[in-house]
Amino acid sequence: MTGSATTLSAGRAQLPVRRSASRGPVQRWLARNRAPLVAALVFAALFGFVDWITPGALTYFDVAFQASGGTPLALAAMGQTLVVISGGFDLSAGAVISLVNAVLAANMDPAQMQASPLLWTLVGIGTGMAVGAFNGIFVAFLRLQPIVVTLSTMFIVQGLTLLILPQPGGFISPSLGSFYMGDAISGLVPASLVLLGLVALFWLWLKNTGFGVALYAVGSDPATATSTGVRTTLVRFGSYVIAGGFYGLAGTFVSAQTGSGDPLVGNSLLLQMFAAVVIGGTRLGGGKGGLVGTVFGAFVLMSVVNILLALNVSAYFSTIAEGAVLLAAVLVGSLSKDSVLSEQLAGLRGSLKARRAGTHVSQRPKTDRKLAFVDAHGRGRPAGDNVVAPGFFTRNGQTLRYALPAWIGLVLVLIATQVVLGSSLGSWSFWNSLLVLSTFLTILALGQGSVILTGGLDLSVPWTIGLSGILLAGIVQGSDAALLYAVPAVLGLAALIGLFNGLGVVALGLSPIVVTLAANGILQGAALLYSGGTPAGFASPLLRWMMTGHIGGVTPVLLFLAIVIVAGTLLLGRTAFGRRVYAVGNSLDAARLSGIQTGSVIVGVYVVSAICAALVGILLTGFSGQASLGMGDDYLLPSIAVVVVGGALITGGRGHFLGMVGGALLLTALQTLLAGTTLPYAFRAIFFGCVVLAAVLALRDKRN
Amino acid sequence: MTRATTKWAGALALALSTALVPPAFAKEKYKVYLSMSYIGNDWQAEAANMVKAMAASKTMADKVTLKVQVAGPNAQRQIQQINAMVQAGANAIVVYPISPTALNQVVKNACAKGVTIIAYDGEITEPCAYNVTIDQTEAGTKTAEWLVDKLGGKGRVVMVTGVPGTSVDTARTAAAKAVFAKHSGIQVVGELVGMWSQAVARTELSKLLATRGWDDIDGLWMQVGCYTADAMQLEAGRTAKQLKPCAGEGSNGGRIQMLPAGTKVDGANGSYAPMDAPRISYASPPYSGAYALKLAVSILDGKKDVPHHTTLPLPLVTNDTIKLCETGSWDEMKNGCNVFKPSVIKNPGWFASIFSEKTPEVGLNAALNGQPED
Repeated sequence: MTGSATTLSAGRAQLPVRRSASRGPVQRWLARNRAPLVAALVFAALFGFVDWITPGALTYFDVAFQASGGTPLALAAMGQTLVVISGGFDLSAGAVISLVNAVLAANMDPAQMQASPLLWTLVGIGTGMAVGAFNGIFVAFLRLQPIVVTLSTMFIVQGLTLLILPQPGGFISPSLGSFYMGDAISGLVPASLVLLGLVALFWLWLKNTGFGVALYAVGSDPATATSTGVRTTLVRFGSYVIAGGFYGLAGTFVSAQTGSGDPLVGNSLLLQMFAAVVIGGTRLGGGKGGLVGTVFGAFVLMSVVNILLALNVSAYFSTIAEGAVLLAAVLVGSLSKDSVLSEQLAGLRGSLKARRAGTHVSQRPKTDRKLAFVDAHGRGRPAGDNVVAPGFFTRNGQTLRYALPAWIGLVLVLIATQVVLGSSLGSWSFWNSLLVLSTFLTILALGQGSVILTGGLDLSVPWTIGLSGILLAGIVQGSDAALLYAVPAVLGLAALIGLFNGLGVVALGLSPIVVTLAANGILQGAALLYSGGTPAGFASPLLRWMMTGHIGGVTPVLLFLAIVIVAGTLLLGRTAFGRRVYAVGNSLDAARLSGIQTGSVIVGVYVVSAICAALVGILLTGFSGQASLGMGDDYLLPSIAVVVVGGALITGGRGHFLGMVGGALLLTALQTLLAGTTLPYAFRAIFFGCVVLAAVLALRDKRN
Repeated sequence: MTRATTKWAGALALALSTALVPPAFAKEKYKVYLSMSYIGNDWQAEAANMVKAMAASKTMADKVTLKVQVAGPNAQRQIQQINAMVQAGANAIVVYPISPTALNQVVKNACAKGVTIIAYDGEITEPCAYNVTIDQTEAGTKTAEWLVDKLGGKGRVVMVTGVPGTSVDTARTAAAKAVFAKHSGIQVVGELVGMWSQAVARTELSKLLATRGWDDIDGLWMQVGCYTADAMQLEAGRTAKQLKPCAGEGSNGGRIQMLPAGTKVDGANGSYAPMDAPRISYASPPYSGAYALKLAVSILDGKKDVPHHTTLPLPLVTNDTIKLCETGSWDEMKNGCNVFKPSVIKNPGWFASIFSEKTPEVGLNAALNGQPED
């Protein structure tokens, strides 16, 4: 399947190349660098707009400050771009920035005001590269999925950071600050721009080395790259190490910029980094893009702050405006004759024309023109066919191989719980709590899992949960009768959210990460506007009873959990929709050529995901008794983690829902075990990361 | 649903009208900006409401124009935002700092340009900045001492902390642990990360309770979550008389539970009702932003003796001092009431410590709707 998809996409990609060959070298260069150029233009336009709307002329100081403000995000996003081009994904980037900041702040000698900037920059870059090498070993040599490796690394690094610097403080020598925040040419060129320029030059050099070429090759098609003699493993490893160096440099720059340490300073840069990568024209999934566009992407994102201020956009609207800017910037960048949007429009025009001419498929006579197949079930085996029907393990070997590790991990964690905390496995209340707590992640796994099976990702989960919970509490106001219309209303709204996400991906051809990230911001704004900042209202008694009551020791929601597990297994395993989800994830083109309406399937999975998130919002409201802002914030990364730990392939097409259920139970059991101990948080984070990493070691991909 | 639509329409109209007001309108007034971090939680929204109300109060309205901006949870963006505010000609910037240290350089620059920077709740360590906070160590110490007293110096304690890696959490937790360590009879049997959220407190406590019954816990020390912990004990079939003593936050829900059982309150509902819960309630008061604005204006007016660090009195409420407010006006709160009716405060997680001697401009209406007292 994968083979045919490759030839197809290769065949497609050849067309524009041939076309541009007939143009001059300038046009060819423009065509090849469209995305970064558009990002640069968008940034220039935003910058000009801010300058025009802000009273008073922009001084050199303003420009210099603007430049240094965007530099940390730009540097970190450049590293991320490198990993993305190679076909990877790095969730540990933000945590590494915090780590480097903490290492520098905790180790610089307060008595030494003239510490060498070069030396400490090397320390920063070295620290980042060390973490990158850790990621690289697991991703490249042990062939684990980048998303789960780097997620584990993120937890481990966050724990280490807190051990090095438990709270904001420490000392950063002023010499580092004046080196990076000062002027390269006084009053003309700030040091930050020189730094970005040097890094960009490094990239332009790297891109043309053998490693650079191999990077794109590995990202486009690892199998082909390997067979043409590229050392895929080393290239992947290298991309994580170099990316780590970029995060290290970003962390050093943040240290210089802030003049002290904060163990949380980089963590929130993570999602913005991906936005910068995509605005800069790099394709998530690998093989296309570059680091220069990313720099402009980062500056576009940072100048949104200035625009919101200049227009005095109300606080509640700021995330909405931000989401809109993100969507617009990416959409503008993707507009061209070959873009999905224009293809869709052309398709629409074509079908309208055909309808008018009366030649549309739906207008043709509806005679069944299928070939007559012999009913396979009715056909007897020819005599002499001695092949034994394959057994259960043969038929499901592949599924079991990927779904079982999570369950085995669960058993080990449960045994550890019994040993460490005692008296748990024998008591029903332990199982009851474990299952109730895992309900949220199990339901999210169905939604996020369906999306991931098609090769997408849903980042709008947190505020779909938040908005749904707040709406539900606001409508029911503690009345059971109101549930009758409140629940359908909330689920209906969720379906619309899913439709928005799905259409953004299918009709506009935007990356799922961009669409759902923007949707998340818009939903946050909607929740704030609806609640006025203070959510009111209660879950009704029935809903509360469902989450916290007991029938003979069993919390009623467990019945619902059972229904979700059965329904999810059937939906993904036994329905036509489920089969199509896997087909789309394995190869979009092959699925389309097999007659699947891939667009509707993709829209469908986002609707499923949004509805699942809304259900979690409703159940969480019942669990807590009321809804609160930000109640979904802690569920985004775990929702992805359980799916991948459960054996799904992040690029789609592989994974079984029951494996994901195992993943949800494993993570919940692990958290329960850790909550029962009095270990400091830092150690718990490290332990959590290590266990997740160990659990997925069994999920190693086979060598090609 | 209609309520939602009117709110949307109102918000849209508001946005349009603010966009259409010509900027030259307010030349004489001080330009003051509020840089918030994240508005995705109840405390932030409440504090912002109180700042807005303060700016709209009679004494302030003709002195300041206030513009509110949100930086999100990202320190980089707050740095950029504060600088943009300086560029836009701010006279003073009221900041909810994302990090006590990361803003130091930009704040130093702002000070150098003559802009007054004042932080509330969190702290900015740059010496030129003004800070309005409570003493976090005192908060940790006082509440832990109360719990030790209540337990008679002996018992098993569960701690639920805040956001790890922040100085507020570190100071409070360290102070409380120091108190517990002094009493050999006190045994800390669980330490959970509560992230200052009632919802997180519930999931974390549920995880702990999976392996430990309520019978194995004698007392709770929580930065946020006593309301939830009490509700969970009732759900587990315990009676109000058996509730464990809990030292924790100043949420309205928790304070309603502290009222003597049987007190009549409008809108009481489920566990959001008086039950004589043994509690000490403290809080980082949400009026700190409003007070910071007031201080900023007095500095702009030329007042010289404003200290760079204002430590607010720690609002402590116990079962002996709990008192229900009828209207929630500032005058009424001055006479000692400190908890509001559930019929008015629908969200039990709402923070009730809104009274300060020094801010007669803002009362309940300010915290709820951004309306000043006068």
